[in-house]
Amino acid sequence: MAAAFASRCSRVGRSLSGGLSNSSPGLFTSSHGMTCNNLFSQQQRTFIQMRTVLKVVDNSGAKKVMCIQALKGKKGARLGDTIIASVKEAHPNGKVKKGKVVYGVVVRAAMQKGRCDGSEVKFDDNAVVLVDKQGQPIGTRVFGPVPHELRQKKHVKILTLAGHIA
Amino acid sequence: MRLEKCWFCSSTIYPGHGIQFVRNDAKIFRFCRSKCHKNFKMKRNPRKDSTFEFERKRNRPERYDRNLAENVLKAIPKIDKIRVSREERHHKNNLVKARYVLQQDPSLTLPKIKVKVSQQQSEENHAMEE
Repeated sequence: MAAAFASRCSRVGRSLSGGLSNSSPGLFTSSHGMTCNNLFSQQQRTFIQMRTVLKVVDNSGAKKVMCIQALKGKKGARLGDTIIASVKEAHPNGKVKKGKVVYGVVVRAAMQKGRCDGSEVKFDDNAVVLVDKQGQPIGTRVFGPVPHELRQKKHVKILTLAGHIA
Repeated sequence: MRLEKCWFCSSTIYPGHGIQFVRNDAKIFRFCRSKCHKNFKMKRNPRKDSTFEFERKRNRPERYDRNLAENVLKAIPKIDKIRVSREERHHKNNLVKARYVLQQDPSLTLPKIKVKVSQQQSEENHAMEE
């Protein structure tokens, strides 16, 4: 009698665990998907440092550049800083070719930057305008919004070329 | 300095507060605090958001109604009269209670103190007045 009861209990336990194991993959995947989605939407934005790929927002011929050195700051570059970058993608008949090492001014950064009035400003993506060693832009047009802090950094030419000043 | 409005909750943003997000189409979103900014990042609808229910204005201005205004103007003197009578009643009750307490415990009354003022001081005061 006791043996029969024990076997019945074990069978119940097995069936319960089996049910759990069958349903568990669905549960775990759904929760994992939710967490991943939330993580990507709330991703922590950080400095522009070595190996950061940035979008080029002028008509110099480059499409994407990769930062190889931030010229200011210990951690990395921020909005308005100058960086040294390597051209990773370029238009076939542009002024700069793929593999060329260029200077660039960060005109948009996803990491927020404090303004002089105490508020903070941040942008959608990381973008640069390619410049020469003297700080003059290589291209003749600048696309998208740029911050007015560039005036303090003496990049007035970029501001005059820009369509929108935020 | 300008006072901006929060994109999410429409509250006033005073100088030095909040965060400003600039989208690539040059549209500027200003947020008064991190709560609004996070809700925006989570693509919440500000009209449906229940977390701001407590902060919503309740005393909305009503549309002008002549009869209602007339009734209110008639009621104001009555309400004032009731308020005054209630105050008087309240003070009277308090005085009665105070008298009863003093009768029970006379030590609560302040002792009468006689202050002696010297003649010289009184003369000085008189001279000052002149």
